Amino acid sequence: MNRSWSRTTLSIAGAVTALAVVTACGGSGDDSADGGTGTAAKPVTITFWGWAKGTKEVVDAFNASHKNIRVKFEETPSGNAGGYAKISNAIKAGNAPDLVSVEYPQLPEYVSQGGFQDIGKYFTEESRKKFLPQAVEQTTLGGKTWAVPFDAAPQAFFYRKDLFAKYDIAVPKTWDEFKAAAEKVEKADSKARIGTFFPDDPTTFEAMVWQAGAQWFKAEGDTWKVNTTDAATTKVADYWQGLIKGGLVRTDASFSPAWTNSLKTGGTIGYLGASWGGGVLGGTLPEQSGKWAVAPIPTWDGKPASGMLGGTTFAVPKNSEKAAAAVEFATWMTTTEDGIKARISSGTSSAFPAALSLRPAAKKAFDTKFYGGQDIYQVFEDGGSAIAQGWTWGPSMGTTNTTLKDQFGKLAGGGTTVPDAVKAAHDATVAELSKRGLKVEG
Amino acid sequence: MKARTRAAATLLTPFFVLFTAVMLIPIGYAVWLSLFTEQQSGLGFGGSETVFTGLGNYTAALGDRVFRDGFLVLLGYCVIYIPLMVGGALALALLLDSALARAKRFFQLALFLPHAVPGIIAAMIWLYLYTPGLSPVVSAMHSGGIGFDFFSPGGALPSIVNIALWEWLGYNMVIFYAALQAIDRSVLEAATVDGASGRRIAFSIKLPLIRASVLMVVLFTIIGSLQLFTEPLILNTGSGSAVSSSWTPNMYAYTAAFSRNDFGLAAAASVLLALTAALLSFVVTRLSGRKDAHA
Repeated sequence: MNRSWSRTTLSIAGAVTALAVVTACGGSGDDSADGGTGTAAKPVTITFWGWAKGTKEVVDAFNASHKNIRVKFEETPSGNAGGYAKISNAIKAGNAPDLVSVEYPQLPEYVSQGGFQDIGKYFTEESRKKFLPQAVEQTTLGGKTWAVPFDAAPQAFFYRKDLFAKYDIAVPKTWDEFKAAAEKVEKADSKARIGTFFPDDPTTFEAMVWQAGAQWFKAEGDTWKVNTTDAATTKVADYWQGLIKGGLVRTDASFSPAWTNSLKTGGTIGYLGASWGGGVLGGTLPEQSGKWAVAPIPTWDGKPASGMLGGTTFAVPKNSEKAAAAVEFATWMTTTEDGIKARISSGTSSAFPAALSLRPAAKKAFDTKFYGGQDIYQVFEDGGSAIAQGWTWGPSMGTTNTTLKDQFGKLAGGGTTVPDAVKAAHDATVAELSKRGLKVEG
Repeated sequence: MKARTRAAATLLTPFFVLFTAVMLIPIGYAVWLSLFTEQQSGLGFGGSETVFTGLGNYTAALGDRVFRDGFLVLLGYCVIYIPLMVGGALALALLLDSALARAKRFFQLALFLPHAVPGIIAAMIWLYLYTPGLSPVVSAMHSGGIGFDFFSPGGALPSIVNIALWEWLGYNMVIFYAALQAIDRSVLEAATVDGASGRRIAFSIKLPLIRASVLMVVLFTIIGSLQLFTEPLILNTGSGSAVSSSWTPNMYAYTAAFSRNDFGLAAAASVLLALTAALLSFVVTRLSGRKDAHA
């Protein structure tokens, strides 16, 4: 009857009550409070939230081979599509699972909100040594260990090799060549574009500035230094502004119906993504199998360089009393051959492990049919070793990225420019950090 | 007497228990949350501390241009949406009620049907219908020489008004139609005998007689509009559109809580929105009350 009230108020009320009730029950004791890892006779059951491709297969493989720990996998929407909202809510309510998936950019935010627990006790130096140093660097904040890194996500350029050949376009090695190639694509087919500037996913842009050598955030002493007006950021922002203004790239949202459709119809013939995109692309466009290839991401000076675009880590929310078991499972997923094989043989994942010794196994398990037999892991390997060191994600990437995303949404209509969007994000970030009581310069 | 009290208590208790559990406690919790903020120190990796901030979150929300702009968006939305909705629903109801209409049951059902589709599904269907390259509607418009971008800054508001109209027009039409059916037929007959035309009857007799329903629909529509959320959220996440993540006050609260992890700010924004809704409802009911007194 009174539909307007019932519609939203009740749903909010319901959610909040659920929170209240759950918070009240959250403190109940548990006999595994010592963080034990269980025994075959008395296994520990942990709950795990994730969305990465092939996760279910990994969990099944773990449960089949382990008696002391049972993993209950619950698939969530991907982070920006609602997964992070779910995690934040659950942490606030005190009913978060024992292990969650978080991408590198979001990790510092959760840590600074006190959402996760220090897992240094369980994720030991010995395990950490197995990983790419950049990945460990991203998961160690304030001298403590907060997450188990899973993949290193070097950037890569995916392209339709059949159409590039048809239009007689060489694969661009530098950003100058990329622009020239973009012009050629448009000339060859007025409806086709070389790629997309994703307005909804600022991390793609951030990977570009990371690649160019920018360092937006620096922790010096106990002060955050925010710098987005350096030469590298300016260069990248101006470059993309030019491509967007010239109509040389699309501005569809990533994985939106519009973007997928333009890939299916040959309206978009390239994708500036990262290692994990390889599997996603194959799953999205099965009918284009054999037509795609992967190249290193173009660079500014022709020498190999890469940023990291996304990439998953596994962290233990603060309320979990089963951290030891959760970390044991996370370590198994990220450092054992069985773990990586289960994920990649699912056929939907092209994850590039941060654990160096697993790369041959990952490569072997990946079916390269979609890429016409190309050794795409070699491309990732080269990209991975060229990931620029020293980049740090700030402690309020939620604010930074939301502002960037909102501003990027106005690009297509000419409502703003990429440099102005970066400026707005900078200001919002500095304001947010000061509001939280942190020392910030920038 | 005692039995009656017991009966009343038995019948009312479930209501009050639920009312307390799903209305009072959550609202109280939201107000409580809105008085606190998280403070950190150093680089922030030592976790955070919850501190009392009084009305700090309220002044922060009110001082944020994005939040205030959200109300401007709502205003623009109401200015376009409410006249179209009420006018359209009234016109359809009067047409159905007129002697001219055929197949009344069919049209009633057909017009009401979109309301049976959940809002989130409706928004997703329309997202496809708005997407160039996928949508037959957009390509038909293009071949007709109309190049309208549903996701552009100027197009976003009409796009969302359109979705809402599609969802709610039939529903409100049914309310009006029911009110029209309840009008005493002898009044209409008398008007006809006096020589009033169909149009004259509609505007001078029928409309004044269903004013209470019209006001109710306006009130509900205003409150519903204040809570605009689902449709713009789908357009925000599913397209590279001009709909920002804090486009309406409700979305502002959602983003504050779940993207920026600022639960205090989110709670304050929600409380402010609820107060606005309460105030507007009060004004609309008072206005309607006064008119009735004059009639």
